[in-house]
Amino acid sequence: MLRAIRFIVDLFTQRHGIVAFVFFLVLGLLMRQSPEPVRESIVSTALSTIYFPAQRVVSAVGHYQAVVEENEHLKEENARLRQETYHAREGLQELARLHTLVRFDDKWDYPIVTARVVGHNPGRFLTTMVINRGTEHGVKENMPVFSMNGLVGKVSKATFNHSRVQLLVDPNLKLSVMDRRTRVVGFLESMEDRRLTALVPAHAGIHAGDTLVTSGLGGIFPKGIPVGTVKEVRMSDLDVMRQMDVEPFQEFSILEEVFVMEKEPDWIVKELLDE
Amino acid sequence: MSNLKWLKVLILFVIVFSLQLTVANWMSFFDIAPDFVIIFIVAVAIKMGPAAGCFWGFFAGFTQDVYAPVEWLGANSISMMVLGFAVGQLEERFLTLNLPAKVGVLGLGFFVCDMIYYAVTGLSKDVITNLFLTKTLPECLYTLLIGGIFFYLDIGKKKKSHA
Repeated sequence: MLRAIRFIVDLFTQRHGIVAFVFFLVLGLLMRQSPEPVRESIVSTALSTIYFPAQRVVSAVGHYQAVVEENEHLKEENARLRQETYHAREGLQELARLHTLVRFDDKWDYPIVTARVVGHNPGRFLTTMVINRGTEHGVKENMPVFSMNGLVGKVSKATFNHSRVQLLVDPNLKLSVMDRRTRVVGFLESMEDRRLTALVPAHAGIHAGDTLVTSGLGGIFPKGIPVGTVKEVRMSDLDVMRQMDVEPFQEFSILEEVFVMEKEPDWIVKELLDE
Repeated sequence: MSNLKWLKVLILFVIVFSLQLTVANWMSFFDIAPDFVIIFIVAVAIKMGPAAGCFWGFFAGFTQDVYAPVEWLGANSISMMVLGFAVGQLEERFLTLNLPAKVGVLGLGFFVCDMIYYAVTGLSKDVITNLFLTKTLPECLYTLLIGGIFFYLDIGKKKKSHA
């Protein structure tokens, strides 16, 4: 075998490689002149045999290069996303600051107790209801009760695990309200026919469609809880006052869940209530 | 020629092709890249003679043909084989090539190789002229620069080993 190889090598290197030159030239010309199926066969055979290991090496190098490029790309993307996250955080903080500035009166820091409505009073007109949270859950008398839509009332009686809520439409409940647009403070109460009415100064310029919120002056309800919208403005018995019909935000007969704000009355109000 | 020497050339051949497929692309500008394969053929032919130049020229050309469109099969094989043979003949018969001569042979071989390739592939005269000016000439200069550095380093290495 070695002799045969040596013979071929010697043959090719004879006469300054002219034999090799002629051999490879003929081989090359044969390849050039061969029909296309033969060329295809030559190429596919070469690719699947002698060039297969080389392809592995080259593809590995190419893969490494692709991984390096992808890594660079991912680093750039990561840096960009970090920057975007930073900007988003800044934006959120700014939004919170602006929100605090614009709607500062909506901010309440009191704990909230979620309660389910478990009973209504059996009377013809709904003025109170019962919830399934009591002193065991931190609920006390005179704590504000509200829903997703707005103010509901206040806790009138708290037992161990149940409480009674006095609704806005109860004539015995009176509270101080404020017009959100004009910031004028008025007085809200329920009439005998369970209509909510508010008394405000005549010069206030309040008109139908305005929103009323709690003013925070009564000592029981914090400032800014939505109460209702002004339906109609009428003349009052007193020239200096205007009487308004108010449509509450919350429809009380369909209440299923409410929130009790664990805010106890201000100390002066508490003293008055105790007396 | 010992088997070990052929193995070394084979490894060098793989490295050169890997370089051609990777580094040459990174080094290219305006789509002009150096041709490491031609430098390899010229270097092997100078070192090992015309027969080895023929073989490695044909093998290198065939490798390029395999990855080229099938209708051009044989074009690179013939042109590079001729290059390897011609450079080997020059080294063996006529002169011992110094650095400028090696670079000159590399440049001449580059042109001859491309011309044979264009002729074998049957391109028209206009296309060949255009390719010669936009491709062959600038790539030849770039390859001469890289080849010159390679030959210079190779000569320096030889001098050190002789000393």
